Amino acid sequence: MPEFFVGRLWDRLITKAVANRNDDATVLFEDIAKPVGILFRALGGDAGLTMKISQSTHHPGKRGWLQRFSSSEEKIELAWRDHEALYLPSSINLFPEASLNRELYFWLAALAVESRDGPWFIENQQATLRLLAKFPGLQARYQRLLHAILSLRPEIESLADDNAVQERVLCQALAAPGSVSSLPLAHYPWHPVHLWFHPTPPLSSNAQLDPPKRLDAFEQAESTQSVFQDERRHKAERREIQERKDGFMMFFRAESILSWAEYIKVNRPTDDDENADAKRAADEMDTITVTRDGKSTASRIRFDLDLPPEESDNTTLGVGVLLPEWHYKKNQLIKDYCRLQPMVATDAAPSALPAHLTITAQRIRRQFETLTSVRAWQKKQDEGSEIDVDAYVQHKVERQCGTFAVDGGLFKTLSAQERNLSCLLLADLSQSTDAYVSSDARVVDVIRESLFLFSEALSVTADRFGLYGFSSLRRDQIRFHAIKSFEEKYNDQVRGRIAAIKPGYYTRMGAAIRHSGSLLAKQASHQRILLLLTDGKPNDLDQYEGRYGIEDTRKALGEVCKLGIRPFCVTVDEKAGSYLPYLFGIGGFIVIRNPSELSQRLLSLYVQITH
Amino acid sequence: MSIPVISISEAVNPYVASEVPFYKPHGNEVELFEHAFSKQLPLLIKGPTGCGKTRFVTHMAARLKRPLYTVACHDDLTATDLVGRHLINDSGTYWNDGPLTRAVREGGICYLDEVVEARKDTTVVLHPLTDDRRILPLERTGEILQAPSQFMLVVSYNPGYQNFLKGMKPSTRQRFVSLRFGFPKPELEQEVVIKETGIDPGMAALLVKLVSALRSLKAHDLEEVASTRLVVYAASLIKNGFAPVDACRAALVEALTDDEETISALMEVIYACFGE
Repeated sequence: MPEFFVGRLWDRLITKAVANRNDDATVLFEDIAKPVGILFRALGGDAGLTMKISQSTHHPGKRGWLQRFSSSEEKIELAWRDHEALYLPSSINLFPEASLNRELYFWLAALAVESRDGPWFIENQQATLRLLAKFPGLQARYQRLLHAILSLRPEIESLADDNAVQERVLCQALAAPGSVSSLPLAHYPWHPVHLWFHPTPPLSSNAQLDPPKRLDAFEQAESTQSVFQDERRHKAERREIQERKDGFMMFFRAESILSWAEYIKVNRPTDDDENADAKRAADEMDTITVTRDGKSTASRIRFDLDLPPEESDNTTLGVGVLLPEWHYKKNQLIKDYCRLQPMVATDAAPSALPAHLTITAQRIRRQFETLTSVRAWQKKQDEGSEIDVDAYVQHKVERQCGTFAVDGGLFKTLSAQERNLSCLLLADLSQSTDAYVSSDARVVDVIRESLFLFSEALSVTADRFGLYGFSSLRRDQIRFHAIKSFEEKYNDQVRGRIAAIKPGYYTRMGAAIRHSGSLLAKQASHQRILLLLTDGKPNDLDQYEGRYGIEDTRKALGEVCKLGIRPFCVTVDEKAGSYLPYLFGIGGFIVIRNPSELSQRLLSLYVQITH
Repeated sequence: MSIPVISISEAVNPYVASEVPFYKPHGNEVELFEHAFSKQLPLLIKGPTGCGKTRFVTHMAARLKRPLYTVACHDDLTATDLVGRHLINDSGTYWNDGPLTRAVREGGICYLDEVVEARKDTTVVLHPLTDDRRILPLERTGEILQAPSQFMLVVSYNPGYQNFLKGMKPSTRQRFVSLRFGFPKPELEQEVVIKETGIDPGMAALLVKLVSALRSLKAHDLEEVASTRLVVYAASLIKNGFAPVDACRAALVEALTDDEETISALMEVIYACFGE
């Protein structure tokens, strides 16, 4: 229709006219975040702050007639900081030169180092003064930016009287910081000051709630319930109260409905029934939803519906392996009691190493390079490419002194000292790994990162390694995921499979350990290591839990040791000390709490395991 | 009146320093060294590269007027390199003392720099010298040397992550009195820079401020920390007439990282201190 056509044309025309003409001098936050962060920390900024993009906010400054005509959005991006992060604009294209836009980012980061709490008008000037006094080299840059900023500000003559006075004071505060101490009020708000921080930064959403108090109250309420014995930390999810526009109950009489309706948060009675059985059956805990009321809503109970396995994303390999199980009460190894099903994730797309791990992986690779086999001279050999001069001299001396001289061992050879090691990483992929172990990482995330980092490290040392995951659904379906077999190379396909691991089902550890042992036994290396990554005890839906599960696992580990394999365990269960020494021995396991801890301890852990 | 007896070896020994090199103490390390020397205790110095360990040892050796035998340890260093070996010349074989043996014979100071670089079976040769026996057995010649009271053994190393596997065995480590070196405080570092290069105090202050800013980036952005030695290099270049920004780039920034983004960020820090 012609009206739409004309309207669209007009809109395009007017927004183009309004849009900033400096588009090709734009500097983006993503390109500048790293150097800006480095400068911030180098000048003394808190290393705990992250760099984030600030949200655009409404600034009711005076707009030009063109902007008003086009009714373009009245949003600008300024910078500010809080205790968590330094917020910078997503892009800056104020100036026609890209170098100036870049300098403005650096200036804002430098100013953030010196900024303190205080009235906006005074504090920004004082911060500027402090910064220029500490780092006089910034003076030239400040003058450049000041000149450019002042040229963008509205003409004083064009403003109304009170606004003109205000603008003059602002310009003076910018040109000579610390020279004015109060900003006169005016009818219209002032034009935004890009050299300073936001006058009224938006609070981060977390700041509105007080997390510790709520969690404590919640956990206190939970502890009184005797059934709920699991003391693992739970991720508490914060949610805004849903604004319900159609409440059931009316707290006012229907006659008075002519007045405007105030929204009343309807207080529905919560269901307090404790379903003890359901809780016990589902001792894997999921997210607990906490509203701002502080009252806990029903904990989500997950129970098994005996669903068939997901055929779509896993391909089974072969018909399955029958494995025995140890019944500790009968003191008997029951043959062919479990069926283990090897599987591989077919639709895992090849992927690269996650971006947040590249720096850690680089560091770890460098550390592990010191472990690689070094070609060294082996002296006093009977045969070799070079004469061992020391041995020869010694020999000659002994001959001349008349003492008995052994004929031989006068050569040296350069040979690689063979590292003969195979390592199988067995990752627990059961449903319990969906629980949160720290504020932002689930156990399965810790396991995934461990797999990535170990693979990066072991691919450097040229040790043979295999990656497998396991979970179980009773004794007839123990799922054994092949993430990387020993023969496969560590490539993007393997990385894709690591990234695709997801939690599900239960933990029948004994069978998985037995099968891993048989896989490792086929490796011809001198040293064979089984590394188990888990979050807790063995348990499955039938009687496989508690003492039964632990005894079967212990028997399996014993069988594996007899094959000459050394088992080791990395766990996130803080109660591991109660049962892991029984399974792995005092030096045979470590407890970690978050992924960063693993990456720091990886090298020492590996040396501990292999030496 | 007794005539002071000077042994011939001391009079003409080239290993005794003729003048005391400059060293600015950070804390009580000078007293610790002197006490260890008088009580015949061996000393272990650990610290990052370029913080003054070797300078400290040469300073103390000159102060105490003892000959100093320095050994730069490396992976191929054998016990014979330290103790000595038989050599052959046209008249036959003769025994040649290694630096450790010479230090023991003459009552000097033997300094093993970067001792963790040597293989552990090499460092075990130090054990008899570091306990109360203070003897050095020479199997090849059949001697057992008793170290005089002026003999002192000093070792040093850099406890960075690269040396994780190359750390000292506890049985070796626990034979030494240990001293940890760090970088000096800004005021001291300024004095060191001024004394080493003759640069003016204002420029020295700026350099030290810059290097403190760079050091605060450790672990987060940079793997290594700028050492005092690099600051002295930068100052020498500036004193010689090179532009300060370029001198800092060459001596400090390019030595610490190869990543282009990090280099441009560090240049911003240099501009913040020196201007453009």
